[in-house]
Amino acid sequence: MSLADFFIQYPNRRYLMYGGKGGLGKTTFSAATAYYLAKKGKRVLVFSVDPQASLSDIFERDIFGKGNIEIMENLFACEVDADKRIQDYQEEIRQKIISMYGMKKIPEEIESYIKASSAEPAMEESAIFDAVVDIVVKGNFDYYIYDLVPLGHALYYLSMASVYDAWLEKITSLREQMKEYDKAIATMKREDTEQDDIYNELMYIKDRIGSSSKIMTDTEKTAFFFVLTPEEMTIVDTEKAAQLFAKYNVPLSGYIVNRVINRELLKDNIPTYLRNRIGMQAGALEMIDQTFGSSVLSSVPEFDSEIKGLDVIRNLAEVMFEEKLP
Amino acid sequence: MEEKKKEKKRKKSGGVIGFVRDFTYGMATHGMARHALKQRSSMEHLFILITMGDMLGIPILPPYYSLRLLPYVVPQITTWKRRMLREKDFMDSMY
Repeated sequence: MSLADFFIQYPNRRYLMYGGKGGLGKTTFSAATAYYLAKKGKRVLVFSVDPQASLSDIFERDIFGKGNIEIMENLFACEVDADKRIQDYQEEIRQKIISMYGMKKIPEEIESYIKASSAEPAMEESAIFDAVVDIVVKGNFDYYIYDLVPLGHALYYLSMASVYDAWLEKITSLREQMKEYDKAIATMKREDTEQDDIYNELMYIKDRIGSSSKIMTDTEKTAFFFVLTPEEMTIVDTEKAAQLFAKYNVPLSGYIVNRVINRELLKDNIPTYLRNRIGMQAGALEMIDQTFGSSVLSSVPEFDSEIKGLDVIRNLAEVMFEEKLP
Repeated sequence: MEEKKKEKKRKKSGGVIGFVRDFTYGMATHGMARHALKQRSSMEHLFILITMGDMLGIPILPPYYSLRLLPYVVPQITTWKRRMLREKDFMDSMY
């Protein structure tokens, strides 16, 4: 099956993700796929939450933290500023405390807790995935292409989501027990029970975590593609990552091989360096064939220029989807 | 709101009969109510512990979502901290 066939065969797969080690071409493939689908008349949003996001570079427009920017007809791009999102969120909490208790200033120990929270290791991942829920819930696009942060983040979040789930289960039941006590006390004192805002918050959190991990694990709507290059180490790493992802029920849909050097070059008089590289890739490509077989959807040659600007993206899309030669 | 207050007042005080009723009721349930309140506040502290534990240096879980709960427990934080840190073993205070 080719990559183009995939989108014909699975029109419901609306959330597309490219994963893989850093620097292998996730962003360029995201951009090219967005271009291809937009040209077919679909409304596409390609977005990134990586602080070192390169969508701005690839589209040659500064879009960082600016919301959904129209790149061309039907194609929108968005780079989320995770740091700013965390700051805004903390500010929102501060305002809530101030207005709830009519305070002039946040008590010192509370303030230091809020400040310290942004240094917590999982803060960023949580903020990122929360942002993704916002983007997907709000937008009215046919396709969402998620330029994923390196693999570790995604896996970390998925495992976190299941831990969160268990945690929420526990505190929700504790909260329910507390509610029972409240009720009993209220009857004894013959008062009305108050509404439990915390319980409602817990339900909200549950819903958010549920929907963010669902976006990544929905077998009906999500397609996850791995990007790899013909190098032994990458292949081994990709295979490992794929196994881990499969464990968390991420719907793996195929592999795309990037940076394949044209073998025809061997006929020419080329330097030994290039000759050796082609030889190395030949071995690796064989290994890819043995490991992933027909799951390889597309094989993209090494370009002689950096992939930047819509013209080059169009060329790349033609190579990826129509198997043209660059 | 006003209506509700009046309703409460009417419920609580209702002349001599009402007083006698409240009195006997109070005699009978005061102890129970106190016990329940105590139990309830223990649970409250346990709840804050498992949501805001990192305030005491016990990292419980990533705080992105627990921050959402922070505003609701602000008034209890001080008493909770005092209580948790006073106990010889905070696990004792959980039950």
